[in-house]
Amino acid sequence: MLLVPCPHCGPRNSADMSYQGEASSRPDPSSTTPSQWRDYLYMEHNPAGWLKENWYCSSGCRRFFTVERHTVTSEFREPPLPGSKTALPLSKTTETGADTDQQGGES
Amino acid sequence: MIRRLEPQSGEVIDRETPLKFTWNSKKYIGFAGDTIVSALLANNEQVFSRSMKYHRPRGVLTADYWDPNTTVQVDTEPNVRGAHRLLEADMKVSAQNAWPSLDFDIKAANGLFGRFLTAGFYYKTFIKPQRLWPLYEKVLARFAPGGVVDLNTPHGYHDKRYSHPDVVVAGGGPAGLAAAISAAQAGMNVMLVEQNHHLGGHLLWGTDEDRATARELEAAARVAGVEILTDSAVTGRYDDNWIAISQRNHPGVVERLIKARAKTLVVAAGLVERPYVFSGNDLPGVMLSGAVRRLINMYGVRPGNRAVVLTANAEGDAATTDLERAGVNVVQVVDARAGETISKATGSSKHLSSVTLIDGSTVKADLLVTAAGWTAPTSLLNMSGDRPSYDPTAARFFPTALPDNVIATGGLVGDGSLDELIAHGLDSGKLAAQRAAVVKHRLQSTVSRAQRPEEPEPPMPEDRRVGLPRAPHPELYRSDTHGMVDFSEDVGSKDLVSAAAEGFDSVELVKRFTTATMGPSQGKLETVNTVAVLAEARGETIEEVGTTVWRPPYASISLGALAGRVFEPVRVSSLHEWHTDHNMTPILAGQWIRPEHYGDPGAEVTNVRTNVGIIDVTPLGKLDLRGPDVSKLLNLLYTNKWSKLAIGRVRYGMMCAEDGVVLDDGVTGRLGEDHYLMTTTSSGAGQIWQWVEMWLQTEHPDWQVHVTPVTTGFTSINIAGPKSRELLKRLVDDVDLSPEAFEYMNVRTGTIAGVPDCFMWRIGFTGELSFEVHVPAGFGLHVWEQLLEKGADLGVGPFGLEAQRIMRLEKGHFIVGQDTDGLTKAPTTGLAPLIKLDKDDFAGKPELEWALAADAPELPVLVAIAPTDPRLVPDEACQILREGTTEIVGRITSSRFSPSLQRSICLGQVTPEFAAAGTILTVRLCDGSDTTARVMEHHAHFDPEGVRLRG
Amino acid sequence: MHTSIPRGCVSVAEPEFRSSITTLAAAPLGAPALTDESSLTKVSVRAQVGASPLGVDFTRATRRDGVLIVGIRPDEWLLLGNANEVETLLATTEFDASVSRIDITHSRLCLRLTGVRSASALEKVCSLDFDDMMFPDGATGSASVAKVSSDLIRDDVNDEPSYLLLADRSFGQYLYDAIHDATAEFANISS
Repeated sequence: MLLVPCPHCGPRNSADMSYQGEASSRPDPSSTTPSQWRDYLYMEHNPAGWLKENWYCSSGCRRFFTVERHTVTSEFREPPLPGSKTALPLSKTTETGADTDQQGGES
Repeated sequence: MIRRLEPQSGEVIDRETPLKFTWNSKKYIGFAGDTIVSALLANNEQVFSRSMKYHRPRGVLTADYWDPNTTVQVDTEPNVRGAHRLLEADMKVSAQNAWPSLDFDIKAANGLFGRFLTAGFYYKTFIKPQRLWPLYEKVLARFAPGGVVDLNTPHGYHDKRYSHPDVVVAGGGPAGLAAAISAAQAGMNVMLVEQNHHLGGHLLWGTDEDRATARELEAAARVAGVEILTDSAVTGRYDDNWIAISQRNHPGVVERLIKARAKTLVVAAGLVERPYVFSGNDLPGVMLSGAVRRLINMYGVRPGNRAVVLTANAEGDAATTDLERAGVNVVQVVDARAGETISKATGSSKHLSSVTLIDGSTVKADLLVTAAGWTAPTSLLNMSGDRPSYDPTAARFFPTALPDNVIATGGLVGDGSLDELIAHGLDSGKLAAQRAAVVKHRLQSTVSRAQRPEEPEPPMPEDRRVGLPRAPHPELYRSDTHGMVDFSEDVGSKDLVSAAAEGFDSVELVKRFTTATMGPSQGKLETVNTVAVLAEARGETIEEVGTTVWRPPYASISLGALAGRVFEPVRVSSLHEWHTDHNMTPILAGQWIRPEHYGDPGAEVTNVRTNVGIIDVTPLGKLDLRGPDVSKLLNLLYTNKWSKLAIGRVRYGMMCAEDGVVLDDGVTGRLGEDHYLMTTTSSGAGQIWQWVEMWLQTEHPDWQVHVTPVTTGFTSINIAGPKSRELLKRLVDDVDLSPEAFEYMNVRTGTIAGVPDCFMWRIGFTGELSFEVHVPAGFGLHVWEQLLEKGADLGVGPFGLEAQRIMRLEKGHFIVGQDTDGLTKAPTTGLAPLIKLDKDDFAGKPELEWALAADAPELPVLVAIAPTDPRLVPDEACQILREGTTEIVGRITSSRFSPSLQRSICLGQVTPEFAAAGTILTVRLCDGSDTTARVMEHHAHFDPEGVRLRG
Repeated sequence: MHTSIPRGCVSVAEPEFRSSITTLAAAPLGAPALTDESSLTKVSVRAQVGASPLGVDFTRATRRDGVLIVGIRPDEWLLLGNANEVETLLATTEFDASVSRIDITHSRLCLRLTGVRSASALEKVCSLDFDDMMFPDGATGSASVAKVSSDLIRDDVNDEPSYLLLADRSFGQYLYDAIHDATAEFANISS
């Protein structure tokens, strides 16, 4: 299981976190076009290489942060940054983060 | 004939403790310390299974964990590795995959036309015609391997734990033990994992001197404080040295999964002896040199009477010595180092009878021992990113490049004397300790709660170990005949050759096509032979063919261990015990256990409509919001406006995601200048909290709002019905509850039944005059009981979720997620007036703007529906059709029989064409018949003007 | 909010604070002891990330005038103690206008696990590293415990390892039972 560098807690199991998808920036809602907005909502770039992505430290400090990860080696590039907004509420986490511990999922 | 030898100096059996057991109902006696197979061999049993495809009789091959032919059923437990599992008193052991019996196996007929059962036979033969598949399936199922699962077997106790050892050592042979010792002596917290029941690896079946060394190493490891796990396995290595360990030696636990985050991993998996491929190599009586040495030295069992030994190494030579000492007549030693080999083995009556040498001469024998070389089980190294490379001189694969936190030692990296192995192990343990210290230093510096290290971070130590030499070894894979390559999957060298001929040019594809290496030994015995045979068939080198990727698990792990202890969190309110004591029918709502009703939901509805009822709505999501910017936040999250909400007032709001789809709804009240309480749906409580935090942390970190979830800090009770005011008045004297002073959609703070700091909202989901009170949870039961006691003369009674659902449906309130779905955009819910596009920004605004535009595509609309037959309640999810066609134009989303109206009521989604009041709809019922229903003018079936609510 | 008897307005029976843990089990001999401390007053103090309204850093816990002050999140501090002491501490501390306070006594359950093997017991239900260097006395961290988000505080008692655990009130009995079960293995083991 990956250790994800939380800027507040330090390295933590990825199961303590909830993955929030690729980092993107929210278009200005007053001037956006449908194609820009839907790109923000639905399109992932999924590169084989460095990717800026959002994480939520759901079982820990409950802060959102953005970090660069290499999708081939899973190496993280320090340091993590404050989070950016994810378009849609991705994970149906419970109020207690209770869905984070995937038992035996790695074996 | 008894094959038990005189006591051997290295034996691990206890002859003072005989154990009775049965094998296919025959009664036998073995000794404590025996494996099932050593005990059976001692009793002269030699056939333990029938092979998977051809049902050939099979005996012992390796006499250890990886033995492919000795999988047995023990009592109700199937698929037990008989050469590994220790014998216990009164075990009932039986053979698997033999029908009707081990001696007379009808399916062995497969062997007669075996040449038709080539690779891909099942794929190719039974694919067509498809309609016959059920028939094929029935026949083939009888031929499938595996034991019998008894569904009535009680579940054993499985366990799980996490661990953070500094060093995990996989393998308890001399190198692994040495590594564990030096790492522990360097102050590290070390976990040593050994697959067998005893530490020492190959020393256990070596000389007395070898065993003395093993005992010394074990003693030193214990003194150094190494945590020793025998009968356990490192089953996988994952990112950042996350290590899965299956532990089977823990008292009271069948098996437990340890999830370890190791700072360094030392892999000392040793070497696995490789079978030699020749005709008849799977006959009972053909064994590897390690098997006979284990049987003689550890279990005092004579493996045969007349033996031929094929030897390519010192282990084979030692086997010859052991055999002679055990009184076995070694009639021929074939030395592969001198270029000699054997051609084939021939059997009669399910056992080896003679061996044909390469010169064509034949030797009578009941035991053929092969020592053809080694496979390096590099599995854990592959999982660490390594791609081992083949060295033809040493005739095996070696690791190439490993990450800093994985270190290999022992037979995996080279050969050498015992002293050299131990020295390498000690050096490896030292290196592992030094590197673990660096990892630990990094963790202590980065994990915020840890104690900061005083010293600066040391550099990652270089690997300066003296390497182990590689001993030359003949490349001995296949003789001039074809034989078995994968014993568990019944894949022969001929199958691999024909796969190559069919054009499978990648070893990964050949593996999947033939299933070679896919059985229970997962390649430990077969991979290198598979590669070698394929290389030969394709005229390439072993290096060119390459190996398949070794994946987890390294050894078998039970589903029970993966499941571990079952953690299924449940949530209950402060009133749970009261509900349980009062005839609650429970319902599971997410993690919550809630009262669905207390016997008669219809009567509960009637009581609310005529008297007063109370319901426990504790799971209702509640977020306490504080700070000067809360109204900005509310404007951003909800579709409507919040800037002018006065203190003491409550407003309903609907939230959308950025795609305009309804996310949640609820009421929010202003308690003070900078203090609000937001309510969410019960199921959305967690998600909305996260949603709110995300907006605040990422888009508006400058806003000052503190969000605190207080869902369970309050016991929430809705008091509903015409007499609710009268009831609440009896318990509250610091808040004026009169209609003039406390209007609909207001909130007050006060004391209820002596409990201060309670919130009282005048709202109503049920459509009745109602007060929702939020009482500090530790006093919830007190207030609940007081309400019932003080309202007895008013007819107060509890009501459950079902009654509430009926009443909300009578009022036409939708439930997000039930009456809406992932495509329901806010304008189609009937609440379009709550969408204020003149606000600068709010979640989902652009999508809602486009959805409300004249040219927007038409989406299904939520409407109230009354079936024509008032007694008929269409099931939820029934389709609504265009009359006379099968075109779906909508569906019923909620339906109930209304006790208040004495007729059936529904909510549903229909396309706009069918949404006008008075439209007659065709509803397809679950039994296939159609009925009609009418679209209503208002969502509310009951009291559409809301007179009762505002009373 | 209070857990003691509050002032009465309407004449009724005296309200009694009830924990969400309703059934306590006897600790197996020698196993870490699990006790319910849910009735302690708990106040959450909120400020901006990076602020230090109580002089305690994130992930650190310290006792002041009888009150345990815990840097529970980068923007949240938890005060834990009896009602009078917490009130006194709050009354005598000067806070910036941007700081907010909220009593969460009733929202959170509080358990204490004490004993030489308490870290080993916690390892059965939680993935944090409880090594003395990684989680020293006076440290705090949040994580899933038996699949429930929890805050853990190392608060040794008489030099014996001791952990406070706070979680959502509604899980009380479930969490108590899960941790109690995890301790059973360590019965009659002295170290």
